[in-house]
Amino acid sequence: MAILPVPLARVSNQLQSNLALSSLATTQRQLLEVQNEISTGKRVNTPSDDPGTAAIIQQLQKTLEQRQSFATNLQSANSQLSEVDSTTGDLSALLQQAQDIASQNVGSDVTPDQRTAAAAVVKTLYDQVLSIGNKQFNGVYLFGGDRSTEPPFKDNNGTIQFVGSSNVLSNNFDEHAVLPFQVAGDQLFGALTMQVTGATNLAPALTAVTRLVELGGASGDGVRPGAIRMGNGATTVDVDLSTADSVQDVVNTINAAGLAGVTASLGSDGIQLSGGGNISVNEIGSGTTAGDLGILIPTGGGAGVTVTGQNLGAKVTPLTKLADLRGGAGLDLSGLTITNGGAAVNISLAGAQSVQDVLNAVNGSKAGVLARINAGGTGIDIVNPTQGTAMTISENGGATAAELGVRSFTPNTKLSDLNGGKGVRTATGPDLQVTRKNGTTFSVDLDGLQTVQDVINAINAADGGGGVAAAFTTSGNGISLTDGTGGAGTLAVSPMNASLGPADLGLLAAPAVGNTLTGGDVNPVNSNGIFASLGKLQAALQANNQTAITEAAQSLKVDHDRVVVMRGQTGARVKELESRQTRLDDENVATKSLLSNLQDTDFTTAVTRFQTLQNALQANYQMTAKVLHMSLLDFLG
Amino acid sequence: MSLIGALNIGKSALAISQAQIQTTSNNIANAGNADYNRQVASSGTTPDQQLRAGIFIGTGVDLTGIQRQIDVALEGRLRASISDSAAADTTQQWLSRVEAVFNELGDQDLSTQFSTFFNSWSDLANKPQDIGLRQVVLQNGDSIARSFQSVRGQLSSIQGDVGDQLKGLAARADGLAQQIANENTQIVTAEGGSGSDNGLRDQRDANIKQLSQLMDVRTIRQPSGVVNVYVGSEPLVINGDSRGVALKQDTSNGVTTNGLVTTSVVFKSNNGSINATGGQIGALVAAQQQINGAVDHVDTLAKSLMFELNKIHASGQGLDGFTSISAANPVNDATVSLNDPKAGLKFLPNNGSFVVHVKQKGSGLETSTLVQVDLDGRGGNDTTLNSLTASLSAITGVQASVTGGRLSITAASPDVQISFSQDSSGTLAALGVNNFFTGRDARDIAVSQVLMKQPTLLAAAKNGAPGDNQTALAIAGLESKAVASLQGVSLKDSYQSLVNGIATNTAAAKTSDEGAKTVKDTLDAHRQALSGVSLDEEAISLMKQQRAFQGAAKLIVAVDEMMKTLMAMI
Repeated sequence: MAILPVPLARVSNQLQSNLALSSLATTQRQLLEVQNEISTGKRVNTPSDDPGTAAIIQQLQKTLEQRQSFATNLQSANSQLSEVDSTTGDLSALLQQAQDIASQNVGSDVTPDQRTAAAAVVKTLYDQVLSIGNKQFNGVYLFGGDRSTEPPFKDNNGTIQFVGSSNVLSNNFDEHAVLPFQVAGDQLFGALTMQVTGATNLAPALTAVTRLVELGGASGDGVRPGAIRMGNGATTVDVDLSTADSVQDVVNTINAAGLAGVTASLGSDGIQLSGGGNISVNEIGSGTTAGDLGILIPTGGGAGVTVTGQNLGAKVTPLTKLADLRGGAGLDLSGLTITNGGAAVNISLAGAQSVQDVLNAVNGSKAGVLARINAGGTGIDIVNPTQGTAMTISENGGATAAELGVRSFTPNTKLSDLNGGKGVRTATGPDLQVTRKNGTTFSVDLDGLQTVQDVINAINAADGGGGVAAAFTTSGNGISLTDGTGGAGTLAVSPMNASLGPADLGLLAAPAVGNTLTGGDVNPVNSNGIFASLGKLQAALQANNQTAITEAAQSLKVDHDRVVVMRGQTGARVKELESRQTRLDDENVATKSLLSNLQDTDFTTAVTRFQTLQNALQANYQMTAKVLHMSLLDFLG
Repeated sequence: MSLIGALNIGKSALAISQAQIQTTSNNIANAGNADYNRQVASSGTTPDQQLRAGIFIGTGVDLTGIQRQIDVALEGRLRASISDSAAADTTQQWLSRVEAVFNELGDQDLSTQFSTFFNSWSDLANKPQDIGLRQVVLQNGDSIARSFQSVRGQLSSIQGDVGDQLKGLAARADGLAQQIANENTQIVTAEGGSGSDNGLRDQRDANIKQLSQLMDVRTIRQPSGVVNVYVGSEPLVINGDSRGVALKQDTSNGVTTNGLVTTSVVFKSNNGSINATGGQIGALVAAQQQINGAVDHVDTLAKSLMFELNKIHASGQGLDGFTSISAANPVNDATVSLNDPKAGLKFLPNNGSFVVHVKQKGSGLETSTLVQVDLDGRGGNDTTLNSLTASLSAITGVQASVTGGRLSITAASPDVQISFSQDSSGTLAALGVNNFFTGRDARDIAVSQVLMKQPTLLAAAKNGAPGDNQTALAIAGLESKAVASLQGVSLKDSYQSLVNGIATNTAAAKTSDEGAKTVKDTLDAHRQALSGVSLDEEAISLMKQQRAFQGAAKLIVAVDEMMKTLMAMI
């Protein structure tokens, strides 16, 4: 209530009524405020009631509103992952059943008919697993990754191709946690486990259009554009590179800075600074740009010394031009020959301009394989997404596969990797005998050899200039022997000491044609995984092949173990989401109570105040009525 | 020393009593008149008559004057406090209205809508292919756009109301200034250099007081009885002349950027600006600026929401690609670089690049092409709309053209679809290609009609996969992200600072309103103590005067009798 100092001199009637009016108005206004507080239940109704508190209230409201989103996300993720959890449980049970069938059908007491019947059961398991793989939840294919709009597992006449994505979706579960809420189908089903990893770093050359975002940066942290301080020995100038998008922009900006004796240009893998000055480049403040660009040279190397920037590690992107690959050496466009279960598919790259053209050519071919740029952006991997077929990649008459580093079988392939990891089985003593066309023979011992090239060398050494030359084929994959003796006989390879080595090397795959014996490709890339294992088991049961049944059982165990592990992980994530949910709820309770403390009316205080004001108002009324009523005139006769 | 002398004394006493009674009556009559100043009739003895050397005898009483009981200095302070109080009151009223527009701390305020909108993007990230969730995003986008428009509309209508009130008050101030000038003339004429025409002076004081409610005025009294009125250091009324008060629209630069009209008060005589800082007029002029500031802030916020969101959205992909797309924002001159003011783009692109993807519908394979946007201002080769159109047309499967300043991109055949990604230049957002919001600022912000008609075009993906959610996630995180267009402040914080700024100003106005009122009431109480009429006092005066009158009358009767006695002696 406004307090009026009462003047000591005179009291005029106007003053009396003004005072009464003013105190009535004040009390009534305060009463209205309390009334509003009580009726809305809120102490702060508009921000101006208490700006400081209002700011906090707004923050808290915002926090609660954001948490609502986290709660929705948690719920959605929880239901999806719980579904995955139960689905992987089903999957695990089916795999257990398949393993049981496998173990039951090993042994002499099982008849072929029983095995055939078991094969039929395995077929139904296979179908159930497929339907699990393509399970939809709430309109989303659970195992499709970010391609969850279509079934991720495609049945191609008995082989299952994974057409989903290995990228899983993530969402926000609190201010800082972006967590995946999907399980990668390819991992669970082992769908993309087998691939030919590009062995070559394709290191594209820098060009005018190379964007800074495509660079690994000199220190591997990318390029963070900012300002740098450049000097020529006499003067320094700050060059702002923050608007640079491409390396050419960097070069242009430096040259436009007009620093005498310093000229920037593009090298094949980095930036060059040349000219007459003592060129120095420094960071400004906590910037990292000069270091990222590989041209940090704080004191300069001396007048006229050219600064050759470090390798900027340009990455391979779909946009990268083929001509720029391999440091500008380009790519042979002869193409690749890929087999994947069926006939060999020749993929020509004639006319291809960019890496994307290569990926499109491979992915769009009938081979049913998946070519993709590796995570580091250094090369191309080719993946076999089809379970149950073996993939081989060889040259299409040129050197494309080798240049991309994707030839599935090369002279450098380790012998131990051949035949799906079984390696090359050798015997004591010489393992193979080569019969030249002129009838002479020589023998080769494979013991202790490491790579295919070692075998080729060993054959050539054993031949000792006898007219047979071993080499790795240029077309297709395999060891080839060429006979130059001109004899009338047939070039042939035969095992010695009952060695399995020649067969394991593919040298017995086909008889010689004319002067040449071409070995088979003994390093096909099989796709493992649940469908492959179940297929194998079914085939083995059908064929009544106990060894194959055991093998299938082993690979099923690998699959099952993986499923169990991933189920465990999923379960842990569901648990984590639940505990996040609980925490979120707790935090909400705390925030709401804080909000209530700040915003809500303290009824005891408010009602007491209301009562006090009511009394004050009443007193005011009485006073006003009495005081204004009194007048000397009443007493004058 | 004569009976006639005594009779004259009686006459003077009667006259003085009558004058005093008239003054008292006048006081009583004006007891309810707030502008009235109590008057006191003062009397003095008339000069004594010298009977003989050393002996003086009184000759009665005379009226020396009827004074207003007034403290000029106090009046000046009171007027200043009236200006302050009126200003604070007005400011408080208008700012409360502005505050109510934002309706913060409620459940349907703009900040809640911000949350709802961004939350729906986050929800879309849970299931990016869901058309229903896309609709929710679009609807929430639509409602936030409408809220922006509504807030902007309400603010500008408040601005209009302020303008209207200002117009009325300026006219009133003009009238009062004129009246004061007239009263100056009347008082000089009536008083003729001496005395005090209390009625006229009271009237003039009342007018000055009313004027001080409108503006913070200062007065300087002249010996002639004239009061000159100043606003700041500029005279408003000098003697019998008023310079007049008028309103002038602030359109010095021809067009106001935000389309709102603000006005200022000027002297009618020479259009010179009146620097009124207090009173209702001063408060309204200041309120206009504050509302203008709020409108600008809302516009900035809307622009930044549009541009920042569009930048992310333009680099994203929907479930479908485009077969044809037309830029929302026209370019005035297709031959100048895109960031040239002559190009007339509201949002400026910067040096950078973007990627155009052309997807074969059948095989799903796509080819990507990098389009560089050179805006480094060097080499005279900066990208213009024409050069951009040419480089887009050079892409196999893409046809680009410019129609009415708008870039238009179409797929060369129905079998291909076009999409965009990795726009580091902001060009697509600036031109309005693949954008979420359209419009210039809070006035016309709206969700793109293209998306409303075809929600599958809403971009949730960043890597081109139909089930990807990275764009949705990025947009969901936009609200709390520091953005360059707000000088490194996030949308959320910027909005909060807007609301807090208004709240703090409103609260300050409320407090200073109460303070100013107390000061005014106190000074007014002082004034009343001196100048106010007390009926009790007047009643006592009246009695006193009545007795004096009776005494004088008795005196005359007595003298008369004495005269009669004398006469009888003849």
